[in-house]
Amino acid sequence: MARRNDHEQTSTTAEALRLESVTKVYGTAGSAVTAVDHVSLSLPAGSFTAVMGPSGSGKSTLLKCAAGLEQPDSGVVVVDGTEMKGRSEAALIKFRRRRIGFVFQDYNLLPTLTVTENTTLPLKLAGRRIDRDRARDILTQVGLQDRLDHRPDELSGGQRQRVAIARALVTEPGVVFADEPTGALDTRSARDVLDLLREAVHVHGRTVVMVTHDPVAASYADSVQFLADGRLAGRLADPTVDAVAQRLAHLGDAVADQTATGV
Amino acid sequence: MLQLAMRSVRQRPGRFFATLLSAFLGATVIMTFNSMLDTAGASGVDPVSEESLNSAAQVVGGYGTLLVFFAVASTLTVNVRQRDAEIGLLHSVGATPAQIKWMITGEAVVVALVGTLAAVGPAVLGGQVLLEQFKDSGQVAQDVDHVFGPVALATGISITLLASAGAAFLAVRRAAKARSGTRRRGVRVRVLAGCAALAAGASGVGATFAMEKTEPMAMAPPAYGAILLAVGLAILSPALLRLVLAVLEGPLAAFGGAGAYLAVRNVRRRAAELSGTLMPLILFVALATATLYMQGVQNDAIKESGLVRTVDDKNLETLNFVIVGIIVAFAYIMLINTLYAATAYRRREFGQERLAGATPAQVMRMIGWEGLLLTLAGVLYGSLAGLAGIVAFTRFRTGSSLPDQGLGLWLGTVAAAAAATFLTSLLTAHRALRVRAVTAAAVIA
Repeated sequence: MARRNDHEQTSTTAEALRLESVTKVYGTAGSAVTAVDHVSLSLPAGSFTAVMGPSGSGKSTLLKCAAGLEQPDSGVVVVDGTEMKGRSEAALIKFRRRRIGFVFQDYNLLPTLTVTENTTLPLKLAGRRIDRDRARDILTQVGLQDRLDHRPDELSGGQRQRVAIARALVTEPGVVFADEPTGALDTRSARDVLDLLREAVHVHGRTVVMVTHDPVAASYADSVQFLADGRLAGRLADPTVDAVAQRLAHLGDAVADQTATGV
Repeated sequence: MLQLAMRSVRQRPGRFFATLLSAFLGATVIMTFNSMLDTAGASGVDPVSEESLNSAAQVVGGYGTLLVFFAVASTLTVNVRQRDAEIGLLHSVGATPAQIKWMITGEAVVVALVGTLAAVGPAVLGGQVLLEQFKDSGQVAQDVDHVFGPVALATGISITLLASAGAAFLAVRRAAKARSGTRRRGVRVRVLAGCAALAAGASGVGATFAMEKTEPMAMAPPAYGAILLAVGLAILSPALLRLVLAVLEGPLAAFGGAGAYLAVRNVRRRAAELSGTLMPLILFVALATATLYMQGVQNDAIKESGLVRTVDDKNLETLNFVIVGIIVAFAYIMLINTLYAATAYRRREFGQERLAGATPAQVMRMIGWEGLLLTLAGVLYGSLAGLAGIVAFTRFRTGSSLPDQGLGLWLGTVAAAAAATFLTSLLTAHRALRVRAVTAAAVIA
């Protein structure tokens, strides 16, 4: 708590996130499912990457492992030049709150806190100074300057997700992860949220990794990383909606073929 | 809908444990004492024994019913709130509010029935033990046999079922109103009910002075008065909790860190929810202090007067210690029960806090600070209600305002209340924190 000045220096490395042979297995011996299978990946700072794949491809698990919300069974995760280590939950949380922002599909805002309080909560928890002007700036960026003292249940879904984005950005993290951030939103709110994520990358230089199943959402990213059966299955730069949809459809075929012949 | 109720009880028995326990304990207390009426009504019981037994049943009848109602009501309120998501889901698949009301009430009745039937055995045993006590002190003749009959059974079942059904009905209505945002009237009714209980309590305390010095039941009006005052304060507890918070918010913000920051906001914005645990806390403190001190004053007064104690006095002495013991223990278990249910329900919130960057230790500190605020409020208001009864009774008995018993009993009560609050909420939170944050935050029900 005594630490006042632990503001993360922007790393000199151009690499924001690196995964080395990350593996995650669920279940026990008999019914074990390998959700993520030796995935290695490197994402440059200032990039906006979408991770896509059919249901059960392990994309969400991969994101959680990379963000420190799940412990990988093996492999190395490096965020902003620092390896994610520490077995205890507290150690992981401390790592996370300094280097990682996370945007959830269902927002995960605290109902008893106002918009401003929710946004500044990560700073408060880390014992960092709360800069109210900065919080207001960020909330203005996401278009919530008139809602500062509202509580989450007084906001629409789109507004809540914008609060969550503000909360993820306030600590100036090395990487912002977003798990289906538009999954619960109508198309207009979804577009606003995606614009904000793109702005975070292109205007403010953040790095964003977003899991989505929606080709429209993926088309906002700089590149799309495909995943099938827990393994990387190709990359697409400068994605368009049609290109993503087509690729995804064939990915599904490939998986279906494997399943049909494999068992 | 009743079928759905039965199924939901069968599928998720754990969730009903708190309500089952309160129905079980409540029915045990009621049937134990009312079996004295069955015993007194049997043929061949002499008049003195009969009177002793009847007065025992009557005194506890009032206390007991009130307490059972509050116990069941507070656990059911917590239970219904826990299931907000499930009730919302039922709404969305087309259940009408009336159907949901019937489902929850039906469940409560099923659970209460199971609890009451399970209580028959313990109540038979309890009645025998109680009767032995009366025999040992000579208030009841040795040849009287314990009878567990229709009166015990009928009162046990009817009071527990009515309390459960009524409390469930009110809890669902309150939850439905909270959802539709029409709380105004509810708050007004609450304030009215609270003020009515306070007025009744004040008049009970006041009635102490209208009694003859020789009245053997002199403890009843101030004791009832204190309990009603406590009930009134318990009903008004959301506002009273905010009052305590307003005083302590400054120091907490200055010294408490992130845990206190979250605790302050939880208490301020969830005062109504947290008052579910403040209610049994206030009741326990008021009950324990009022009855323990008054009994002490009574005993001293009798000793000092040098008079040979009458059978009535003796009656009251055993009776009150037994009643005080049972009722205080009951209130204590209810306190723990409610705290457990209320804390276990917050698993999802704890998950969300950890996802936002709170370490488990910070969540525990938050619970600790909330526990401190609750304990302070409970002790403050419970002691006030208890003190009103104690002062009235002491003036009546001895002419001075405060009893000679010292602070020991009060400190013991406070220590017991604090121990229950902190241990239950911290241990429950510790357990809830073992679930991984991602899993906990994703849980809907």
